[in-house]
Amino acid sequence: MNKILVGLLAGLILGAIDGATAWFYPETRPVIGGILVGSSFKGMLVGLASGWFARKVQSTKWGIVVGAALGLLFAFGFITGAIIGFSTQRAGTPRCAS
Amino acid sequence: MDSDTAIGGPHDQFPSTQRWLLDAAAAGLPNEALERIAALYWKPVYRFIRLKFRKDSEDAKDLTQGFFASALEREFFARFDPAKASFRTYLRMAVERFAANAHAAENRQKRGGGVEFEPIGEEVAATNSPEATFDREWQRQLFGLALDDLRAFCDSAGKRLQWLIFEAYDLEAGDRSSYAALAQRYGIAETSVTNYLAWARRTLRGFVMERMRGVTSGERELREEMRRVWI
Amino acid sequence: MDLSDSVLDHLRVVVALPDLTGTRYELEGEIGRGGMGVVYRARDRQLDRHVALKVLDSALAGEAPLIARLEHPAIVPIYEAGTLPDGRAFYAMKLVAGTRLDRYVAESLSLAERLRVVRRVGEALALAHSRGAIHRDLKPQNVMVGEFGEVYVMDWGVEAVAGTPAFRAPEPSLDERSDIYALGALLEFVLPAPPPPALGAIARKAMNADRGARYPDVTALLADIERFREGLAVEAWREPPLHKVRRFWSRNALLLWLLTAYAAVKFLLFFWGRR
Repeated sequence: MNKILVGLLAGLILGAIDGATAWFYPETRPVIGGILVGSSFKGMLVGLASGWFARKVQSTKWGIVVGAALGLLFAFGFITGAIIGFSTQRAGTPRCAS
Repeated sequence: MDSDTAIGGPHDQFPSTQRWLLDAAAAGLPNEALERIAALYWKPVYRFIRLKFRKDSEDAKDLTQGFFASALEREFFARFDPAKASFRTYLRMAVERFAANAHAAENRQKRGGGVEFEPIGEEVAATNSPEATFDREWQRQLFGLALDDLRAFCDSAGKRLQWLIFEAYDLEAGDRSSYAALAQRYGIAETSVTNYLAWARRTLRGFVMERMRGVTSGERELREEMRRVWI
Repeated sequence: MDLSDSVLDHLRVVVALPDLTGTRYELEGEIGRGGMGVVYRARDRQLDRHVALKVLDSALAGEAPLIARLEHPAIVPIYEAGTLPDGRAFYAMKLVAGTRLDRYVAESLSLAERLRVVRRVGEALALAHSRGAIHRDLKPQNVMVGEFGEVYVMDWGVEAVAGTPAFRAPEPSLDERSDIYALGALLEFVLPAPPPPALGAIARKAMNADRGARYPDVTALLADIERFREGLAVEAWREPPLHKVRRFWSRNALLLWLLTAYAAVKFLLFFWGRR
């Protein structure tokens, strides 16, 4: 799969997990569904942008930096963004399979 | 290469007149083969006996003669195993046994026993071990005989000049003249000096190998002995 | 004729020297002595370059014709094979300036560099095998490393005369798998002590006394070394679970650190927020 897809998938998964940690805060449990959706969506946005960047630039270091920056930008989280950035650099093929 | 300088064959390959040692032995050891062995080994055996058993010149000569007269019969060659040692080593050990037996027998005759040490002559300066001397004398004899062969060949083939050049350069014990000096002395070109020397040396090499062939058991032993001879 | 010591020794030297008359080479000096002959440095008058001249002391010409047809950066090219006027066979080949492998690895080298050299040797071996040639006498003394790191494998095709027993396979008749044995022994030779267990296992597998149990070909051996270099599991070694975990950790260190950081931050925020 190409890197954009990798980014979307990683963002979705990470976003869902991140959102799910809200469960530890009982006061948020009533609206946890919305939190999950929102977090997943933000994750996918970060993943999309990160994947696009990974296609242009091949550098694990910069992938992490850009991912982290995107994470901050989308209020998604510094480290989660970094993880997404890392995955898009390491996995997936840079070009479309066409 | 002009055929004039070639001895035989396109690459100076000696047509081997020498049969391998064990083949000759199996065929009953014709006298010529035996003579060749004696010619090569007489002096080394003599020197070895003198050093190892501290014999004087006369006694050593007697023992050497005795060895070549009696020890070299068919049994001797039948027992030789090329896998264990070279013929040279095997023969040397046989000399040791022969001389030790003779020495012991002689002492038994003398009343009171005791071994008498004869003074060692000046020509056997015992700086080397007897074994090393044996090997060295063997090399000396090998080259000496091959040089005789070479000179005889040069005489018969009309290569007198080649021999003279070779003798003047390679057999010179002191300071050697330069190629240029030799060229001038004999009235030939310097390149001829180079060529003659090269020819003489490789012909000598051929003769050395021929002599060795007559006292080794096969290709493998020949190769190993050759490696010990060349520097 | 009675010869003095000095004349005798002089004759021993000059008669041993290769007679190069009629060839295009000029003798310059001796480089070394091997199992089947002496190697000299010579100058090719026609092409005005230096060559290595190996003069064999037996009539066997080795596998020169076969080897001369192999073209590989690690196989020393043979320029000419012929017979000297005195009857000895010789090869003229590229004069390699460099260090012999046994001396090369005595210096402090990284593991990566040691494996690189082994890989180069293996590649040359693989090519030779694919063309039906067997080395028969592979050992550190037959591998040279040039000044720019090029690796050369020399002395092909002539069975070790008085070979170093450590590198010679036990079977009486040599084939490609004996070369694999020797390559394993070479690997073991270059490894530092104590060797990484995976590499030691690779070497041992290649040096199995039963040639059927060795790697089927050189490429398989090299592939296992590659797997080691990439941090993957090696075919030759059943690794203990602790080692598996360590390997996984080192391969994926970055990711694991990131996840750890994530979890740590999450915990911190949780407990900090709770106060």
